[in-house]
Amino acid sequence: MGKASQLFKTDLKGLDRLIKKLRSDGYVVYGPVKRGRSWFFLEIDSVKQVDLNYVRTVLPPKKLLHPPREKLFEFKLGDGFEVSEKPMPPTVALFGVHPCDLKAIERQDEFFSQTPEDPYYLARRRNALIIGLTCTRVDENCFCLSRGTGPEVSTGFDILITDVGNGYLLEPGSAKGLELLKSLGFQEVGDEYLEAKQKLIEELKKSFTKQMPPEGLAELAKSMLEHEVWKETAERCLSCGNCSLVCPTCYCFDVYDVLELNLRSGVRVRELDSCQLLEYAEVALGGNFRRNRFQRLRHWMLCKFGVAGGGLYSSCVGCGRCIVYCPANIDLTEVASRLRGGG
Amino acid sequence: MKLKVGVFKFTSCSGCQVELIRMNEQLPELLNLVEFKYWAMASSKLEDGPYDLALVEGAISTPECIEEVKAIREKSRVLVALGDCAVTGGVPSIRNWMSQREAETIVYPKPGYIRSTRVYGIDEYVKVDYYLKGCPPRLENILQVFKAVILGVKPRLRQHSVCVECKLYENECLLTTYKQPCMGPVTAAGCGAICPNVGRVCEGCYGPMSDPNVASMVERLREIGLSDDEIVRKFRKYAGMSKPYREVAKL
Repeated sequence: MGKASQLFKTDLKGLDRLIKKLRSDGYVVYGPVKRGRSWFFLEIDSVKQVDLNYVRTVLPPKKLLHPPREKLFEFKLGDGFEVSEKPMPPTVALFGVHPCDLKAIERQDEFFSQTPEDPYYLARRRNALIIGLTCTRVDENCFCLSRGTGPEVSTGFDILITDVGNGYLLEPGSAKGLELLKSLGFQEVGDEYLEAKQKLIEELKKSFTKQMPPEGLAELAKSMLEHEVWKETAERCLSCGNCSLVCPTCYCFDVYDVLELNLRSGVRVRELDSCQLLEYAEVALGGNFRRNRFQRLRHWMLCKFGVAGGGLYSSCVGCGRCIVYCPANIDLTEVASRLRGGG
Repeated sequence: MKLKVGVFKFTSCSGCQVELIRMNEQLPELLNLVEFKYWAMASSKLEDGPYDLALVEGAISTPECIEEVKAIREKSRVLVALGDCAVTGGVPSIRNWMSQREAETIVYPKPGYIRSTRVYGIDEYVKVDYYLKGCPPRLENILQVFKAVILGVKPRLRQHSVCVECKLYENECLLTTYKQPCMGPVTAAGCGAICPNVGRVCEGCYGPMSDPNVASMVERLREIGLSDDEIVRKFRKYAGMSKPYREVAKL
């Protein structure tokens, strides 16, 4: 969007109307809901269910565009080979996606749009509507600021919501978003609301304690494949796969067939995979490219630093999930800092 | 030609066979493909081998068992260890950490009649083609082995951590978020994370995952306040005799 984009404001009731409108337009709406001590993107029908002050969900909203496990199609062996695709997935609207996760979705978009395009991801993505939500707080594991992936964000959403204290500023990020805001008759406001938002973001920036600047990190990491930090960290690493399974930029998956007992029909499934698992790099006859734990740990981190296969598509957006969900308290930013010669 | 199957049992609770009996509506389809030649729990008609596939449940704990399991192996083309007892000795193997006589006295009024050995999984004595981990293994995984043997392919029994399945279901993390002693990070998946799905920690009933970092797991359990004794029991419970756990289980 250019500078001249229209701005709107609303209140909590207005956000509720937005959710209801999306639902009546045929979207299945998901938003951050608190359950137990954690947040999850769950189906919602009212803004009351949503925690607008959430920090991070267990799984990123990626799960609705690139599901952890999905049936791709059913097949049948008859005289020939019959395949039946499942019907198109429901159209989803993601309500309340934080900047880091918005950036991660943009990377997934790029990755899955490469040749050959991924029809499953793109079918979901093309129909999806994304409503961003500027963060209201930062915890000790957030480091998007140093990654340039938040808390400011200017792309990757159809609408961006910001709590400016006396209401919610609504910025359209696409024609679809603008149309939606207009159709709901929200009040148009001037640039002073952008200034108020900017002030809040500047305040927020002061709360960041963790950082992992990208500058030169990829080159540095590539030149330090034998650094002791890899082996030392791997001594703690459980190779459980948590880091990559909760990562909003990891896209690697496995594809396999589940055959019925008649041995003539079945389904083809794809499931999130992780380079942290021993079997991931296993080839025929049991050969394995990354048999050692430190090689697997290093591979994942290199990907997040922008080096390995994933490069830019999979590099870190600073959401902090891998740190929060690592049972061994391994911290990607500490590894980066040791590579830089610190700590 | 139907696959000739034998189901055998040694020291165990029979729960793995019960899992197999739970096939219910899948049974007719399975019976199109296989013929149970020997399955004492399901039929009184017991035929001698050879078998295309032998499912062996239970740990080996007496001198007689050793001879029997060797005889079964000789008669079977593919031999599968069905469940933790057959895979590593399972729950019965906890007696390996006390004296033989003490264990016998606890269980039998006149232990003089008892002749037992240390408890081992069946691969201590015979070659095993596939391991169906779990206490009990999930029916889906058992059927997977039937299908694979018929088709002559390797069954897809991934050995990664329970954490993988837990994350696929997006459970709250009991270890990191609640500091509960969940064995998920070192335990082989296959159960579908059934315990974490209902908010209970993984007890480790599928035994060690592929390449578990046991030393680090011990540290993590210490960090959340478990005593060495409690940690030892965690590792002994289902697979204390497995190679990766054996050292910790002896602590």
